[in-house]
Amino acid sequence: MKPLPDNKGYFGPYGGRFIPETLINALLELERAYTAFRKSPEMKRELDNLLKNYAGRPTPLYHARRLSSSLGAEIFLKREDLLHTGAHKLNNTLGQILLARFMGKKRIIAETGAGQHGVATATVCALMGLKCLIYMGSLDVKRQAPNVKRMMLLGAEVVPVETGGKTLKDAMNEALRDWVKNIRSTHYLIGTAAGPHPFPRIVRDFQTVIGREARAQMKRLLGEDPDFALACVGGGSNAIGLFHAYAGRSRTRLIGVEAGGRSHRPGDHSASISLGRPGILHGTRSYLLQDDEGQVLPVHSVSAGLDYPGVGPEHSYLKDEGLAEYVTCSDREALEACLALARHEGIVPALESSHALGYVMAKRARFKNQKVLINLSGRGDKDLGIILEETEI
Amino acid sequence: MKGYNGLYLMGNYPGAELFVETALYGLKHFDFLEIGIPFTDPVADGPVIERAAHELIEKGFRMDDLLRSVRRIRDGAPAGKKLLFMTYANIVHSRGAAPFASLCRKAGVSGVILPDVPFEESAPFRRAFRPEGVDLISFITPENTEEQIRKIATAASGFLYCISIRGITGNALSLDAQTQKKIALARSHSRVPVVLGFGIRDRATAATALKHADGFIMGTAVIEALNRKKLPGVRSLLRSLEETA
Ligand SMILES: Cc1ncc(COP(=O)(O)O)c(C=O)c1O
Repeated sequence: MKPLPDNKGYFGPYGGRFIPETLINALLELERAYTAFRKSPEMKRELDNLLKNYAGRPTPLYHARRLSSSLGAEIFLKREDLLHTGAHKLNNTLGQILLARFMGKKRIIAETGAGQHGVATATVCALMGLKCLIYMGSLDVKRQAPNVKRMMLLGAEVVPVETGGKTLKDAMNEALRDWVKNIRSTHYLIGTAAGPHPFPRIVRDFQTVIGREARAQMKRLLGEDPDFALACVGGGSNAIGLFHAYAGRSRTRLIGVEAGGRSHRPGDHSASISLGRPGILHGTRSYLLQDDEGQVLPVHSVSAGLDYPGVGPEHSYLKDEGLAEYVTCSDREALEACLALARHEGIVPALESSHALGYVMAKRARFKNQKVLINLSGRGDKDLGIILEETEI
Repeated sequence: MKGYNGLYLMGNYPGAELFVETALYGLKHFDFLEIGIPFTDPVADGPVIERAAHELIEKGFRMDDLLRSVRRIRDGAPAGKKLLFMTYANIVHSRGAAPFASLCRKAGVSGVILPDVPFEESAPFRRAFRPEGVDLISFITPENTEEQIRKIATAASGFLYCISIRGITGNALSLDAQTQKKIALARSHSRVPVVLGFGIRDRATAATALKHADGFIMGTAVIEALNRKKLPGVRSLLRSLEETA
């Protein structure tokens, strides 16, 4: 297989750079810097060192025995929830902050939904002494309040965004506008494997550590690859990080789980691949939830991190090529999975990650006696308020 | 007015009647009309235009309604005045670039402005538009290199949209020496007018634009005038510009 994306940033028909002309040279500069960065042994050493001693890699692979026996399947969890700051997001922010410093950028901006990427960005900015500004939809500011406080504690400025649905998409609009205005001084530290080229590729590369470790750990444990590997898909960074170790290289069936929300009616979910069609948003051509005239549809998910109408372009490619399958898990199923993992294993997962487990629980016949690897992308501390509100505890 | 100048209005904003009336009035002063098709996520626009777009979409904006207004403008406007659409890539992509171009031709719209399609991504759109005689308008910005400007300006059709600032619609105009040089370079390579947009809001900024470019585009200030005082607001804004030239 040819390595993708191609030199224009395309994964087959998906990807590209659909952004204002003002940003083109910043993206070309980023691409050049990233090429140099990847070739630099010092940068690699510094990143490896941070991943190990600062972030806590490798993260464990855990065989969830009690949950397995209750489901009749062998469930293995890749414990990204144990990474510093509580989610896989730090893999990417550590990489990109070194890249930003390498480029001499002094100011970092980012968008966030669940606040995990915001926290991970604020964290690395504190670590490097860089100025940090986080755009966050005002609805998310309310429902992920603990993370807002954490970002402020870490010295970041959080800007609530009041437009549109007041969630992740709107935060990304504002971040892009900021970038156009402050292009010279600022690095836009995108939090998922979406956006204009080269972001989908950069974020993927920094997240592939998940799949690399997990595949080796599974091999050590089982002597073989699992039958299935699952991850939740918002923009798609934790999923692509896991899938990349397997896609086209293994018999392991890859399943990306999107947010099925309250129902499959427009506005009630954020299942871009399962229920959308190709479109162009935030710099990339990919599956998109949109109406018949191309207006982007409102989206919903109980988990703020999945509440996004688009998806990274590489997932659209994997879907069309049949290299991965994309399914949905409802709000209710995700909440049940969250509770089940808490009660069977003493692990409270993020509501995002709960979607991956929720699909396995809802479709347990399909996974009977199968070896199932699930990426536990983050922990649920930030979600306690919602979990308590939505369940009868 | 001196120069080759464009007026931006959001399509059917604040309502179809006032939109058509304002457009026909505006085309007495301006050479072309840029008709915004609202999009949910207008990342190149500031709050004034974004709010107008969201208001229309919430009220159930449909393309067919806008096309009816465009036909009335086409029929009522003096010959030689051009109409263009300004929207975002997904609106065109959703219908398909070729069907969109054919819709433009039938409506008497001669060009399309897509602020999230940079020159690098423009080829498939151009290819689909050309058979219908519809121009995709190119942009140059203060960030472009001289080499890029030469390439973009040489290939430009319709007119060349010079974004005056590093910013979005509604931001203030500032033309540093380097940007002025880039505009001059673009004019020397372009067969079509180089028109300055973003930040033109009154006599003074229009005069500055005309000093350096072939014309200007005014948008946010017009929407603000409409919001404040309906058509009389736009009238007094445009009359004040007339006194410049
Ligand atoms: C724990 C966790 N998992 C998953 C996601 C979804 O993002 P992605 O699809 O990029 O992994 C988020 C986003 O905020 C998250 O916080």
